[in-house]
Amino acid sequence: MILSALILIPLIGALLIGVWPTAVDSNQVRRGALITLAVNLVVTIVLITQFDISNPDFQFIEQLNWIEALGLTYSLGVDGISLPLVVINSLLCFVSVYISNEVKRPRLYYPMLLLIASAVAGAFLAQNLLLFFLFYELELIPLYLLIAIWGGARRGYAATKFLIYTAFSGALILAAFLGLALLSETGSFDYNPSLVQGLTMFQQTLLMGFLLIGFGIKIPLVPFHTWLPDAHVEASTPISVLLAGVLLKLGTYGVLRFCVGLFPEAWMKIAPLLAWWAVVSVLYGSLAAIAQTDMKKMVAYSSVGHMGYILLAASAANPLSILGTVLQMVSHGLISALMFLLVGVVYKKTGTRDLNVLRGLMAPERGLPFIGSLMVLGAMASAGIPGMMGFISEFIVFRGSFESHAPQTLLCMVGSGLTAVYFLLMINRVFFGRLTAAPDDVGGTIEVTLPKVSWRDRVPALLLVLIIFAFGLQPEWMTRWVESTTTSFVPGAMRAATLVSQPSISQSSISQFQTTQSTKPLQQVATKQHNEPKAETISSESTPLAFAPLL
Amino acid sequence: MTTTSITQLQPAPVYSSAEYVERLISGGTLLPNTPENLKEVVGVLKAYGVVLDAYAINLQYIANHQFLNLIPIFKYFDGEITPEKVIKHLWHNRINYEYAEYVMRTMMWHGGGGLDAYLDSEDFWACCAPAIQAKARRNPILFAFNKLFPEYLPEQVRQLAYYSGLGQFWRVMSDIFMDLSEQYEQGNIKSINAVVEFVKAGLVADAARPITYSVTIGGTPYDIIPPSIGLTFLPDTAVPYVESIFFRGTPFFGTVSYNAQAQQIPIDQAQFGYGALFADPLPIGGAGIPPTLLMQDMRHYVPDYLTELYETSVRGQDDVRVQLSQSFQKSMFCVTEAAVRGLMPYPADTADPKERVLNQDYLNGWMKRLTESRLDVVQSHSDN
Repeated sequence: MILSALILIPLIGALLIGVWPTAVDSNQVRRGALITLAVNLVVTIVLITQFDISNPDFQFIEQLNWIEALGLTYSLGVDGISLPLVVINSLLCFVSVYISNEVKRPRLYYPMLLLIASAVAGAFLAQNLLLFFLFYELELIPLYLLIAIWGGARRGYAATKFLIYTAFSGALILAAFLGLALLSETGSFDYNPSLVQGLTMFQQTLLMGFLLIGFGIKIPLVPFHTWLPDAHVEASTPISVLLAGVLLKLGTYGVLRFCVGLFPEAWMKIAPLLAWWAVVSVLYGSLAAIAQTDMKKMVAYSSVGHMGYILLAASAANPLSILGTVLQMVSHGLISALMFLLVGVVYKKTGTRDLNVLRGLMAPERGLPFIGSLMVLGAMASAGIPGMMGFISEFIVFRGSFESHAPQTLLCMVGSGLTAVYFLLMINRVFFGRLTAAPDDVGGTIEVTLPKVSWRDRVPALLLVLIIFAFGLQPEWMTRWVESTTTSFVPGAMRAATLVSQPSISQSSISQFQTTQSTKPLQQVATKQHNEPKAETISSESTPLAFAPLL
Repeated sequence: MTTTSITQLQPAPVYSSAEYVERLISGGTLLPNTPENLKEVVGVLKAYGVVLDAYAINLQYIANHQFLNLIPIFKYFDGEITPEKVIKHLWHNRINYEYAEYVMRTMMWHGGGGLDAYLDSEDFWACCAPAIQAKARRNPILFAFNKLFPEYLPEQVRQLAYYSGLGQFWRVMSDIFMDLSEQYEQGNIKSINAVVEFVKAGLVADAARPITYSVTIGGTPYDIIPPSIGLTFLPDTAVPYVESIFFRGTPFFGTVSYNAQAQQIPIDQAQFGYGALFADPLPIGGAGIPPTLLMQDMRHYVPDYLTELYETSVRGQDDVRVQLSQSFQKSMFCVTEAAVRGLMPYPADTADPKERVLNQDYLNGWMKRLTESRLDVVQSHSDN
C-alpha cells in the first residue's frame, strides 16, 4: 500500500483543497499543500528505509485488476531505478510548493502541483504499460495549466507548444505500447521483457523507435527540444524547478525502462547511432546555452545538454553506465532545480534575467551575495567539479560509456567543458563587477538597490546544495540504493553484444571486469577482484536470471 | 526586458558646474536642503565625531608614547592593556584604528602645506636628530639601525609627525562635529546651510591654532615640531587634509580593478580623484578596503533618528555600511563647502563687480575639480 500512498496522498490533498467547502486564503491553501507533501515525503522516507537494497527486482508490488478486457491492471512496483526518482519527485514537489508564494487562484494552483506529484509518482511506479501511459498523460494537464495560467508574458504560446509536443510524444508512446501488445499477441500490457520475444528484429526496432522518439521529445533530445526553453522561460520558478528536476526525468526513465528494458536487442543494434545522437544533443545544447542572454534559457539549454549524457550512458548499456544514467538523472534533477531556484530569486529581486542588464549581483550588502555564492556552487556542480554530485554522475557516465563508445564519449566530455564556459559567462556577467544595471531603454548604467532576500528564498537552494555536496563526497549513499538493480538491468543478450563489439580486448578479461563490477557495489570491486574472481564469475552468470520473476 | 524595479529608476541628472557656482553665490548649498539630507548629515557627523575622537586620541598616543617603537604591538591600546581589550582587539569588534593610519599615510604621501615643507627642511633635521639620539642611547638595536640606515629613523619620525598632525586636526574636527550634533538636538540647526555655516565657523575659530609636536624621552622633552615653526591648523593640516583625503585619495581595491600600466591611474599624483568626494560607496564590504573600516566603526554610533531613517530603506539595516558611506559623502560635501566658503576671497554677497568676478573665478576653480566627483549623484539620492 505504501506505493499507492505516494500516489493517493497528493491526490487526496488536491481534492480536499479543491472542494473545501469554506473560503480559505492563499496561505492556508499553501499550508495545506505543504502538509500534504510533507506527509508524502515522510512516506517516501519510510519507503526508503524499508527498501531492500540487495534485491534487484521490483519491490512493494501491488496488483489490482482494473479493466481486464483492455489489459489494464493497476500494478505498481519500485526498484533501484525508480526509487531515487520517486524520492526526487517527493522532494522537489515539496520544494516547489514551499517556494510558491502569493499566487493567484491558489485553489487551482496548489491542487495542480499536487496532481503533478501524484501523476509523476504514478508514472515512475507503474508496472503496466497502459497505467504508465495514463500517468504520463495525466501529468500534462496540470503542467499545461500551470504554464498557461501562471506563466509569463508569452505563456499561451509556450503552454500550447509544450502541449502539442508532449501530446505527440504521448501518442507515439501509446502507439508503441499498443503495437507491442498486438504484435506479441498476448493482449497484455503488463511490464514484461518477454513480450518482445516473438517479434522480429524489424518490429522490435520499429516499436522501439516510436518509444525513443516519444521519450526523446520529453527528455528532450535535439531536434525535439524547442518546446523546453520556451516552457521554462514562461513558467514560474516553482514550475521550472519541477519541469527540470522531475518531469524531464519521465523521458529518460521511459527510455531506460521501456526502450532498453523491453527491446534490449534492438537497442544494442542501434546503440552507436544513439550515442552519436547523444553527442549532437550535448554539443548543440551546450553551444546554444553559450549564445543565450536570458539566464533561464541558458539553464534550459544546459538541461538539453546534460540530458544527452543519459542517452549516451543508456546506449552503452553496461552495468556501470546504467548506474550512470540513474545518477545523472538524480544529479541533473538536483542541480537544475537548484539553478532554476536561484535564477528565480534573481528574477524576483531584479525583475529581469537579461544577461545584458544584470551586473555585479555578488555585491555585499546591496546585492545578492548569498544567492550568488550558491549559483557559483551550482555552476561548479553542473560543470562536474569534483566534490559535488555532478562530478560523480558525469564521471560514471563517461567511464561506463567510454569502452563501447569512445569517440562519442570524448565528444560528450567536451560538453562538460562547455558547461563551465556558459555558466562562467553567466556568473561573470551577472554576479561580478560593480553592482549596476544597464537597461536597454535608459542610457548608461544606473545605481541599484535590490530588495532583501529572505531565508525563505535561501533555504531550499541551500538544502539542495547540501544534498549535492553530500552525494558528491559520499556517492555510496546514493549508489547503494541503485546498484543491485542497475547491475542486473542489463540482460545477458545485451552483455554479449557489448562484448562482441569490443574485439580488441580479450573476452575473458572483460567478462571478469564486468562481473566484478556488476555484482558488487563499486567500492568493493578492487578487493573482490583479487580475492575471489571465480566465485564472482559464477554469480554473474546468474544475474540475467534476476529477471526471472518478471518472465 | 520585462517589468522591473530597475527600469523605474533613472540615471542621476547631470548638472553643470555653473549651476553649482550660481547656487553658492546666491546662498544655496551644494547638497540640496532636504529634511532627510539634514538628518543624514548631522547624524553621520555625530557618529563620525565619536569615531574621530577615538582616532585622534590614538594617533596622538602613538605619536607621543610609541615614539620610534619598531614593534608597536600594543599601539592601538592607548596604554591600557587588559586581557579583555586584547580579546576585543583580536575579535575585531572594535574601533579600527587602522583606518586612521591609512588616512595618515595617504596624507603623508600626497603631502602639501606647511607640515610637508617643514618635514623636508633642515629645521626638521635639527629637531629630530637629538630625539633619535636620545632614543638610540637606550636601545642598541635602534642605535645600530641608525648607523646603518641614517635616513630610516628620520623618516619614521616624519611619519610620527603626521600621526600627531592628523591627531590634532581630528581633535578639532571631532569637537566641531559633536558640538554640531548637540546644537542640532537642541533644535538650533534647521538646514544644510546652517550645518555648513556651523562647520565653517568652527574651522575659522581654530584656523590659527598652532600645530606642535614634542616627545618626552627619559624625562627630557624633545620638540619635533616646535611652536616657533609657526604651523597652524587651517593651512598646514586642514587644507592638505582636504586635498589629499577628500580629493586625491588612493585607488583602493574593490570590485573595480585598475590597470596602472594602461594609465587608468594618473601618472601625476595631483590628478588623482579617488578621495572621499569621489569614492564609490558601493565596493565596500571586502577586506582591506579602507572606507569599509570607517563605516564599520561609525556603525556602532549611529544616532537613533538616523537608524530609523536607514530602516525605511529597501534593504533596511542590511546595507547600513553602504548607507553610512553615502551619508558620509554628503556630509563631506558640506565640510568641503564650509572650507570653500571660508577660503572665498570676498564675501559672497559683495556688490563690487570686480570682487564678484574674482569670487566667480575662485568658485569655478573648485567646481572644476568637483566635475568628476559624486556631487551630481548626491543631488538626487532619495532611493536609499
